[in-house]
Amino acid sequence: MERAFISRLKPFLDAVAEKMDLYVPRKVEGHYVCERYEPGANDAVELNAIRACTPAKEFLFPLRELAAVFPEAVEPKEVKPFAVFGLKACDLRSMEILDKVFTEKEFEDPFYIARRQAMFVIASDCSEPGESCFCNILDGQPYAESGFDLNVSQVEDGYIIAGGSAQGKSFLAAHAALFGDVPDALLAERQRRRDEVRNQLEKANVDFELRAPVQEIVERGYESDVFDACAATCVECQACTRVCPTCHCFYLYDTAQTDYFAKMKMWDSCMRIGYAAVAGGGNPRKLLGDRLRHRLMHKFAYFLERYGVDMCVGCGRCVDAEAGDVDIRVVLKRLSDELTGKGKAVANKTK
Amino acid sequence: MIANLYQPINGEIVEIIDESPTIKSFVIVPQSAFSFATGQFVELTLPGEGEAPFTPSSSPTVTEKMEITIMKAGRVTERLHNCAKGQPIGIRGPYGNGYPIDEFVGKHVYIVGGGVGLAPIRSLFLTLVDRIGDFKSVVCRFGARTPADFIYKDALLGPWQKLDGVNIKLTVDQANGDWSGNVGVVTTILNPKDVDIANAVAVVCGPPIMMKFATVNLLEYGFDPKTVYLSMEKNMSCGVGKCGHCMLGKYYVCKDGPVFTYDQVCKYPKIWE
Ligand SMILES: Cc1cc2nc3c(=O)[nH]c(=O)nc-3n(C[C@H](O)[C@H](O)[C@H](O)COP(=O)(O)OP(=O)(O)OC[C@H]3O[C@@H](n4cnc5c(N)ncnc54)[C@H](O)[C@@H]3O)c2cc1C
Ligand code: SF4
Ligand code: FES
Repeated sequence: MERAFISRLKPFLDAVAEKMDLYVPRKVEGHYVCERYEPGANDAVELNAIRACTPAKEFLFPLRELAAVFPEAVEPKEVKPFAVFGLKACDLRSMEILDKVFTEKEFEDPFYIARRQAMFVIASDCSEPGESCFCNILDGQPYAESGFDLNVSQVEDGYIIAGGSAQGKSFLAAHAALFGDVPDALLAERQRRRDEVRNQLEKANVDFELRAPVQEIVERGYESDVFDACAATCVECQACTRVCPTCHCFYLYDTAQTDYFAKMKMWDSCMRIGYAAVAGGGNPRKLLGDRLRHRLMHKFAYFLERYGVDMCVGCGRCVDAEAGDVDIRVVLKRLSDELTGKGKAVANKTK
Repeated sequence: MIANLYQPINGEIVEIIDESPTIKSFVIVPQSAFSFATGQFVELTLPGEGEAPFTPSSSPTVTEKMEITIMKAGRVTERLHNCAKGQPIGIRGPYGNGYPIDEFVGKHVYIVGGGVGLAPIRSLFLTLVDRIGDFKSVVCRFGARTPADFIYKDALLGPWQKLDGVNIKLTVDQANGDWSGNVGVVTTILNPKDVDIANAVAVVCGPPIMMKFATVNLLEYGFDPKTVYLSMEKNMSCGVGKCGHCMLGKYYVCKDGPVFTYDQVCKYPKIWE
């Protein structure tokens, strides 16, 4: 079954929760976070307008996990199927980015892959762009067309649920009794709503439009003072990298338990001063400006060169999270202005 | 289930050799045969304490045991230095690219090394002399702070000097005791006439400051940046191109390196830091 109509979300979510653990968005102090959905107990339903403030990577690559045990190795634990409702197009893109790293041939991360395979992705269209959303600047859009098992779009009297994968489609078929048909008029309405949100997003971000491909902007701006200038207010809280759904730096550390030794894997941040320090005192990125430059070069040049996609989806989480007021949109915009400004000057000279 | 790339194989330290006041070599027997190419590195785990990258200093033709030469430089290396024979350890790897020996065939191999940088160089040296006829010559220019800081002293001052096709010169920053050799930093024993540069490759491994000045000299002598091979030392954690720690520009040093030509890395700033 390709798509289906339902007037209320609850029966749909109950049906999902019957099969597996389900996580849903809940509004807490103006932001969405994910909580376990428990039919009959914690089963209020909310359709999040935008992505949650917590990144989807938490489901695939937790803050801290056991990576190895000795002397007796243990098999990684099996992961039970689970579903996440309310993921947005930017979240799906962020997972595709993480896939590039953690499913790379010959270097597969078994923990990530196990969770990724167990995850049932229920996406939904954004209904109103958030203040920091700028996915459109990076070729994104506020609704997903692929990368989900199911996708939910709100329409006037209910919801269109589209199947994206074989698993999603068979879910719809198996629960056909819950659903109605989707007439063409409803699809047209969905398109109208999507276009409307996209227009709002474009309007909201006119000031951040970039005038050149983002890779060129960061590469040609490599020596620019903009990085130092923008990092001047950074307080090294590292929140930007924690909430970023595509940042995936980590470190391994060892601990002794009573009867075994463990190697743990924990998130790290390239904005931390000791991140690249080596024994003997060397540190290629002592200055915050150098770290900010590296972070943006990694996102928009190095990652693209290696994996063919940018490592930023324009979700704006880092903009919201920043304690030090470093706004990635502003950094890019200032580099872009500098580049196009310079471009003109060069053109004038050669005339 | 996919194999767990963070799980080390078990091994044991069977012998410890004092090389210098701050450097020891550890002979390690892995639970099963362990193959590596010269210049590749391993992540060595001291259970419960930590993990650090090291390049085996032994010949890759020996797979039932390997030697790792370690300088006391910080937390994990200090604890390794405090270990005794019989200490269980974990080994992940081998990782990285290693030296492209086949590209050295038919050429002079000009090796500049210092300090604990001689560890990977010993493995390379043993590999080269195994097939010495394939190379025009192997020329070594090694430095240490004082005579006592030279590692592999017995081999360096004895049998290695006598090998056909090999030419070795040593220097120390500060002489003492009965040192009768050269005194000065390693660049003072480099000479553009040492080899026919048009038919040579250079290999540099040692402390960053030494690598920096040696590289400057080699380029001045006319070595093509594509023929100067550098072992880049960066902070590492995963060893498999994921954790991000070792990034040098677009490269993951752990996966694309640790051996790079100067040509590959020179466009990035602060490569020696
Ligand atoms: C490819 C490669 C090959 C090398 N080969 C050799 C060799 O053959 N012989 C040799 O002596 N040295 C070698 N080194 C250098 C060696 O790896 C370092 O000296 C060693 O990592 C220092 O570790 P330490 O804990 O003793 O030092 P510290 O100064 O305590 O730590 C050094 C850095 O490692 C990180 N670090 C330390 N402990 C931890 C931890 N528990 N968790 C996360 N990060 C940590 C920290 O970020 C710190 O800045 C090599 C390095 C590389 C990259
Ligand atoms: S860098 Fe910022 S905007 Fe880009 S994906 Fe990460 S958190 Fe979102
Ligand atoms: S050490 Fe983790 S990416 Fe190189």
